[in-house]
Amino acid sequence: MGYLGELELGSSFPQFVTFEEAFGFVPQIFRAQTLLPRVIEAEAALLTTILLKEQALSQIQKEYVVLTLAQAHRNVYCVTAHHEMLRLLGVPEQQLDRILVDYAQAGLSPADTDLLSFTLKLGTNGPFVSRDDVTGTLAHGWTDESMLEAILTTALTNFLCTLSTGVGAAPEFTPRLIPETGPSPLFGKPSSEGSSGPYLRAIERNPADFPPFAFFVDEYGFVPNIFRAQTLRPDVLEAEASAIRTVLLTDDVLTRLQKEYILLAVSAANLNTYWVAVHGQVLRTIGVAAEDADQIATDHHHARVAEADRALLDFALKLAVQPSRFGRPDIEALRHHGFAEEQILEAVAITSLTNFLNTMQMGLGAPPDFAPRRVFRPDPSKIAHLSAPGPRPIFKEQLVDPDAELVAKVRNGDLDVFEELINRHSRRVYRTLVGVLGNEDEARDAMQDTFLKAFQHLGDFQQRSKFSTWLVSIASNTGLERLRERRPVESLDDDGSASEEGFRPRDVRAWTDDPEALCAKTETRTLVEKTVMKLPAKYRAVVVLRDLEQLSIADTAEALGLRIPAVKARHLRGRLMVREALSPHFSGGARGVTV
Amino acid sequence: MISCTDFMAEIGNYLEGDVAAEVRLQLENHLSHCQSCQVVLDSTRKTLKIVTESGSFDLPEAVFKPIAKGIMARIRNEQD
Repeated sequence: MGYLGELELGSSFPQFVTFEEAFGFVPQIFRAQTLLPRVIEAEAALLTTILLKEQALSQIQKEYVVLTLAQAHRNVYCVTAHHEMLRLLGVPEQQLDRILVDYAQAGLSPADTDLLSFTLKLGTNGPFVSRDDVTGTLAHGWTDESMLEAILTTALTNFLCTLSTGVGAAPEFTPRLIPETGPSPLFGKPSSEGSSGPYLRAIERNPADFPPFAFFVDEYGFVPNIFRAQTLRPDVLEAEASAIRTVLLTDDVLTRLQKEYILLAVSAANLNTYWVAVHGQVLRTIGVAAEDADQIATDHHHARVAEADRALLDFALKLAVQPSRFGRPDIEALRHHGFAEEQILEAVAITSLTNFLNTMQMGLGAPPDFAPRRVFRPDPSKIAHLSAPGPRPIFKEQLVDPDAELVAKVRNGDLDVFEELINRHSRRVYRTLVGVLGNEDEARDAMQDTFLKAFQHLGDFQQRSKFSTWLVSIASNTGLERLRERRPVESLDDDGSASEEGFRPRDVRAWTDDPEALCAKTETRTLVEKTVMKLPAKYRAVVVLRDLEQLSIADTAEALGLRIPAVKARHLRGRLMVREALSPHFSGGARGVTV
Repeated sequence: MISCTDFMAEIGNYLEGDVAAEVRLQLENHLSHCQSCQVVLDSTRKTLKIVTESGSFDLPEAVFKPIAKGIMARIRNEQD
């Protein structure tokens, strides 16, 4: 028995019949997932198309990939299972033992040995893989088709290793002892910048007559490059699309949001800039602010997510990145947080699928579909084996300023480019000024000053913060100067009284379930604008920057020259004041907005 | 036991998901038997959503384009 509950699916469950036929038994790794048959179906489709079909690589060649990589991961379940598979395929046990001791000295052909060196590097140290590794292996006579299969098999192995660890699958044969090998191999320099892929040949396919692509267009609005890079194997794309449909896009066990959190956090831990960008974007479309998504990617402990979801991410990251430390207590921890068996199982499946997708991308070198907000790359000073037991080395994470390129051009004398920066940031600057000044005409007027100052001081911009944050602080200073000149009475400074404390809401009538349905969008907007304008300046600025512009607490503090506790206190007070003002319009019995 | 005042002091952190597990338990315990704090929490959440999605103080292109052109004209003037 594994860690989680199991059900009897009956001997006619089609995937189990397939396994019986292929292996003579149903592997424990799948028996342990009977609570979610749809997940088993998706996994079985990946397994059969990638591993069991013989096309460019033979099944034995692919099983060698699985065996050596599972050994590098020290995954006893997978080593035992695939040792048995290879024995069934007719490879003598003696030969298998030689491969386990050292595949490079096992009498394999130079091309086979080189292919295994590549798949091992990809499977254990993905972020270090570059175009050179792929072209180097192709030079041994492998075709693009066989490289694609090698990459997919590597990704599938990482999937199976994570999955077997997560469900606590016990070996169904006498466990193979994994020989102690020397220190883990080191793989030179991390993949160099600018050597982006795709590394392999692919065929253009039209979504109109290619169902997997039609599915991606439906779901994402475009075909992500990672899938465009695999058109040499349409059957695998089918299986991947179907796994995404049934495992990621379902909402009945874990929520879609929880799944996207896992995909984002695990991809970031795997230093996979490509997938971090994709899932950051998906989270944005389902209503999560970019800053919040960034926070989940960099450190979910300080992210705006529920306590239980934080525990869920702890669980997923440990399983993905520190499998040797993962065990039954981690399952217990999630049960303690109220997660049901099915949900824990799905978390394991999603984490495994994330490792699959991440490994695949690092092997194919699919270029980003849109400019990533952050680039993750290994810290060259801490090159180490990623799959080594124990915590992973610490990596640098770099802030990517989407404006950096334009700013550099302006600094080099290309004045006209500044207009693009104005266009990009006019709304943010305007809102900051409205927040500070509380007057739309004045705010429009002060925009000129703000951008002129920014232009004049562009040489002082240190790039320690993002250009947009720097610009917002110029806007807020410009607004504050005007405020002091014209209205010495109203200021953002604390008036000395502890007025943020002890604000008591007065209107405590319950609101309707769907308040936004009560009135037209334009009416709501007018109401919100009026309400915000009536707030005292010190609350107004914080509410506008946090709730309308969705700046992080730290950026708001920087822009307004406040300390973080002050931002939090004013934000809360401001929000409660807005709530109080909106309450008569949205509480039960109210009939919406009359403005 | 915590009071409504204690709850109000923590409601901001609670909404941000930024409270320690034991504080969270206390807050939720209070919520379970305090109707008015439930209402305030629920309506504050809804307020946040309404404000965020309102698109307030958005600047129409027709307004900011001339402003941008004006700024660029001044910059070019100063450079000459």
